[in-house]
Amino acid sequence: MTAETISGEVLSGGAALGVASPSVHDHLELLAEMGRDFASNQDLDVTLKNAVQRITEYVDAEAGALFMLSPCGLKLLCNACVGPVEITGLELAADQGIVGFCVQNDDGKIVRDVADDPNFNAAVDSEAGFKTRSILCAPMSVKGERIGAIELINKRGGDGLFDNNDLYLLQALSSSAGLAVLNARMSLQLVEQERVKRELELAAEIQRSLLPPASEASFPVSGVNVPARIVSGDFYDFYPLDDGRIAFTLGDVSGKGMNAALLMAKTASLLRCLGKAIKEPGRLLTLVNTEICETATRGMFVTLVQGIYDPENGHVRLANAGHEPPLVVAPDGSFTAIEAEAPPLGIAPSLLDEDGFPETEFNLNGGRLFVFTDGVTEGYVESGEEFGIDGLKDLICSAGDGGTALVLNAVRARIGETGAPLRDDVTIVAVDDTLRANIGAPQGKAAKAAEAGATGTQGEKLMQLRVSARANRLRLIRNTVKETATFCGFVGSDVGDIVLAVDEACQNVIRHAYGSEGEGDISIELRHRVDAMIILIRDFADPVDISRIKPRDLDDVRPGGLGTHLISEVMDEVDFLPPPIDGGNLLRLVKKIKGTASDGT
Amino acid sequence: MEHKVEENGGTLVIAFSGDIDLQSSPDARKALLALVGKGAPILVDLSGVGYIDSSGVASLVECLQSSKKSGQQFLLVSVSEGALRVLQLARLDRVFKICATLDEGIAAVS
Repeated sequence: MTAETISGEVLSGGAALGVASPSVHDHLELLAEMGRDFASNQDLDVTLKNAVQRITEYVDAEAGALFMLSPCGLKLLCNACVGPVEITGLELAADQGIVGFCVQNDDGKIVRDVADDPNFNAAVDSEAGFKTRSILCAPMSVKGERIGAIELINKRGGDGLFDNNDLYLLQALSSSAGLAVLNARMSLQLVEQERVKRELELAAEIQRSLLPPASEASFPVSGVNVPARIVSGDFYDFYPLDDGRIAFTLGDVSGKGMNAALLMAKTASLLRCLGKAIKEPGRLLTLVNTEICETATRGMFVTLVQGIYDPENGHVRLANAGHEPPLVVAPDGSFTAIEAEAPPLGIAPSLLDEDGFPETEFNLNGGRLFVFTDGVTEGYVESGEEFGIDGLKDLICSAGDGGTALVLNAVRARIGETGAPLRDDVTIVAVDDTLRANIGAPQGKAAKAAEAGATGTQGEKLMQLRVSARANRLRLIRNTVKETATFCGFVGSDVGDIVLAVDEACQNVIRHAYGSEGEGDISIELRHRVDAMIILIRDFADPVDISRIKPRDLDDVRPGGLGTHLISEVMDEVDFLPPPIDGGNLLRLVKKIKGTASDGT
Repeated sequence: MEHKVEENGGTLVIAFSGDIDLQSSPDARKALLALVGKGAPILVDLSGVGYIDSSGVASLVECLQSSKKSGQQFLLVSVSEGALRVLQLARLDRVFKICATLDEGIAAVS
């Protein structure tokens, strides 16, 4: 076979003929050098440029270019080139030209004389004033994965045309370059994966810092959280309140990824911050729900149990937002589930009225309370079955009346015993009332606690009613206020005065806050403080300009405007409080009970 | 709230019973204004009124002013403790002419 006979023919790779042994030695050396270069250099583009340079010199071509297939596989981009014409950045369709032919067919190609080849694209030549006579091209591919191709132009010296030996050599070098590119890409991916993993570990560290520190054995509330992945969508918290009670929280954010972890962080922070000031679980959840509804990604929600435990008397009040029913275990071993009475947080901002999420109150009477996520009950155990609610109950029973720490450890061990990855985060919070010394006198204690509640600045909530803002509801309001005022210890004209003030305040809402009758609701909360009765009157209308509300001039005897004067005449304090978070107006009336220590008169 | 109008000794006696509040005060106002222009003195018997609010008081004030214009006397008689308290709070106990009993009222205008 002579150069003449293959002139103008396209030859595909075949047996190498007449390759001299010294060039094999050089060839291996070149491959080794290229390998070192790819391994040591972080910048793939620089390395590719070096490789093209070496290959072009080694094969003794006038110019060389390396094309890479775009990630979508539709384009070929020149990543590196050597020679008189700079074509780095040149973009071709994936099947365009001789490069395209080689990439598509995953085969090398020699065009001894471009004048005879229909695939030749003469555009670059004519623009650059470069005369292409002969082209050599070989694909870069690894195990069928197409990466790109290396193209060489014009053999130096002689007739300036490539021959088959050149093709075989380029094919070998191209394959090596392809492997090197793939390795470099994989190592970049690995670096990226490592980086993401490190980020996740940092996120998990922050998450763990949001969980409370392990409690002392004598502390009645404890918890455990085992994430299924690095970060968790579950959380729990507990902290003592300034009145000696203990607030506890357990929540489960929908989903398990980073978005769940972030929403978890937000919810946990909100609850911890607000929970220390708002000691009513139902009202607390209402506030947090509003916030989450306003800002959370659509479709994400949080199921949650928020409670307060009083270690003095075993009393628990809790609100359940769509969460697994917590289990109360009585000292006799019987179970009671506290069902959720409200939807999860983040579903609907105004689904519930301002009374907040419904609360359940009960006394543990020396028993225990377990709040857990479905990761506990749906976790697999050794038999391959789900642990289940019965599994949890069995385990609690078998722990006897041992402390809740025993149960928590046992659950963790039981669900983790298969060694298989967890399906879902496993989280439990336990409240242990068996530690209380004075079990058996809960009633007296509870009564005392209720009294203690009345000593707080806001007093004890006695009554709350919410009615449509209509004139025919006023009688109902008056009767309620009258009975409550009498209960608080008011006598004589004071009772009537309080009734009048509340009635007038409600009238203002009906007549002024809302545009017309029955347009909205009015809510009245009656509270008893040791020295006073506190009345909170709330509407849900647009905020009222407080400066416009003032008592009328009494010398000007005209109908209307009298109500506000009457209110300030009979009450000791009349204040518009800052508007509630979800809008409306909030008026607070305080009437002191005569004869109490703080009554100055 | 209910009301009853009677002529007694040359006067018009209107007796209310029940609560005069935002719901019932429009009716009370209408009943009161119906007596204005009839010439005879108006005596409002509030003995049966357990509760009166600012809107009820406002109706009384409006009627007092209207009857003055029409040259009629306007008196409140046997005002219940609760209603009197509200009038006192509104400082209107001195604006209205108030008699302890119906008979005293009739005697006062004749």
